[in-house]
Amino acid sequence: MTLLQTLTHGFWRDLPPFRLVLGLCPALAVTTAAENGMGMGLAVTFVLIFSNMFISILRRVIPGKVRIASYIVVIATLVVLVELFMKAFFFPLSQQLGIYIPLIVVNCIILGRAEAFASRNPVLPSMADGLSVGLGFTLSLTLVGSLREILGSGTWFGMPVFGAGYEPFAFMVKAPGAFLCLGLLLGLMNAWSRKRGEIFIQT
Amino acid sequence: MNLIELTLGAIFVNNILLAQYLGNCPFCGVSKKLGTAAGMGAAVIFVATLSSVFTWLAYHYILVPQDLEFLKTLIFILIIAALVQFVEIFLKKQSRALYESLGIYLPLITTNCAVMGIALLNIKHGLGFWQTLVFSTSSATGFALAIILFAGIRERMFTSPVPQAMRGTAVALVTAGIMSLAFLGFAGMVE
Amino acid sequence: MREIARLVLVLGLIAACSAAALSYVRTALEPRIERQSDFYVRGPALERLFGAPASEVLGNKIIVEADGLSYPIFYFQTEGRLAGLAVEAPGKGGYGGDIVIMVGLDLESGKMLGVEIISHSETPGLGAQVEKASFRRQWRNLEIGSPAALSGNGGRIDAITGATYSSKAMIDGTNQIVDLLMKHEEDVRAMIARRDDRASAESGRDR
Repeated sequence: MTLLQTLTHGFWRDLPPFRLVLGLCPALAVTTAAENGMGMGLAVTFVLIFSNMFISILRRVIPGKVRIASYIVVIATLVVLVELFMKAFFFPLSQQLGIYIPLIVVNCIILGRAEAFASRNPVLPSMADGLSVGLGFTLSLTLVGSLREILGSGTWFGMPVFGAGYEPFAFMVKAPGAFLCLGLLLGLMNAWSRKRGEIFIQT
Repeated sequence: MNLIELTLGAIFVNNILLAQYLGNCPFCGVSKKLGTAAGMGAAVIFVATLSSVFTWLAYHYILVPQDLEFLKTLIFILIIAALVQFVEIFLKKQSRALYESLGIYLPLITTNCAVMGIALLNIKHGLGFWQTLVFSTSSATGFALAIILFAGIRERMFTSPVPQAMRGTAVALVTAGIMSLAFLGFAGMVE
Repeated sequence: MREIARLVLVLGLIAACSAAALSYVRTALEPRIERQSDFYVRGPALERLFGAPASEVLGNKIIVEADGLSYPIFYFQTEGRLAGLAVEAPGKGGYGGDIVIMVGLDLESGKMLGVEIISHSETPGLGAQVEKASFRRQWRNLEIGSPAALSGNGGRIDAITGATYSSKAMIDGTNQIVDLLMKHEEDVRAMIARRDDRASAESGRDR
């Protein structure tokens, strides 16, 4: 894969969590508002870029048996750093995201990319991969967050969208709304995919 | 706090999967067959209970006294990973059949948001030791319940006329949404 | 044997680097996190209790240790006199754990100014209703000197229907504060006076 392909594959071909079916938990949990989705996406992107970077640097040094354990230590360290950073500079956002920030550590995307890409590719492409998949994820989360926020609270990034008479679909910001939104979006993307003649990646 | 209410609340009202969104990756992957789902559910109950106990102990007896609470993310995931390794080794020796049937899903429990999530929730809710034990077992049971119910529905869905675009994960998510809506009805049951 | 040594070495090194990085960042950021927490979490509560901008009060903070717990206290002064306190306490027995409350106290009238919720893990729609102004309004003008209780137990606070545990936790927190003042008011005043002297000495030096 060329560098350009690496930089762009996260935006459609391997778009998480729709095409690359990983990272569903945060996609459902934090997308109650567009801002939260974006914040979470950016945090994950940060961790992805640097975990890919470190794991790529160390890829010849880490013995096979402790591979997963080492990845986990690296990823967890980065997540704790993100936690501290967010509390120090983006306190309200960190309160909104709550326990889902530490849960980034079990976000399958990060371990998945480490295994699938960073452990067998040089540093720069690995970082590019992290950036691309991460930003794709951020876009997805922001999209879902926007949908749920607009329909469920009548605002977008906190700004009111409809007039005062709008009766929001309250359940959109609750659990059922999350599942439904994601499921329908996925269905739409699949239909679009089929129109373009692409093969499904997930079943 | 009343342990019975804690249990009911964890299984139904705040179902770890349908209300708190934790444990979704295996949810969509494993729940295709009833048998696998049940096995996964049982494994998660076991790992979640054990890991909650160990993480609770580590938090209250090591991290807090040393003013190292901020390390809980790192320490917890390491404890969980180690535990899953042990369970794997143990199962391989003691119950080869179960080990085989779980296959790749056993190591995947490490990254199961539900297990880590339950450990974190124990701390967030400030639960005591016995409460933690009850809460984690109940939450994991809620997860198992959801995943088994789901597998039952999905098995039926394979023979239903689902639109092509919606097949697979998409319709699974929509189904989960409806289940979640149903579980919302439990709110107010406790307290 | 060599393989095991290598495993341990690599894992150990990674762990050591991780520990070093985390400790450094944590120490560097901790004061800032503390200030952010105060500003966002306690600031709005303080403003509502004292009716004064948070910036005036946030700096006036002491922490009192009693019965194994720490109680952050913010104080408010008018014309050089200690006029009000906002005491933070963890109310035990809530459905989702402790409910951290902050009670405003008017020292001159001997009555409570009100109660604010700093943090809670109660169920949305049920226990979380303790946040409602209509519930918390009941704390206004309660006597500082006497313990609070739910109306079901002969007191003046009406619990929230369907949220007994949460309501009780609010009472528990309030009574911890009542207790604290009954036993330690002099100590608290002394601590504040000492801190005040230190603060004015420091700002005097800066001038």
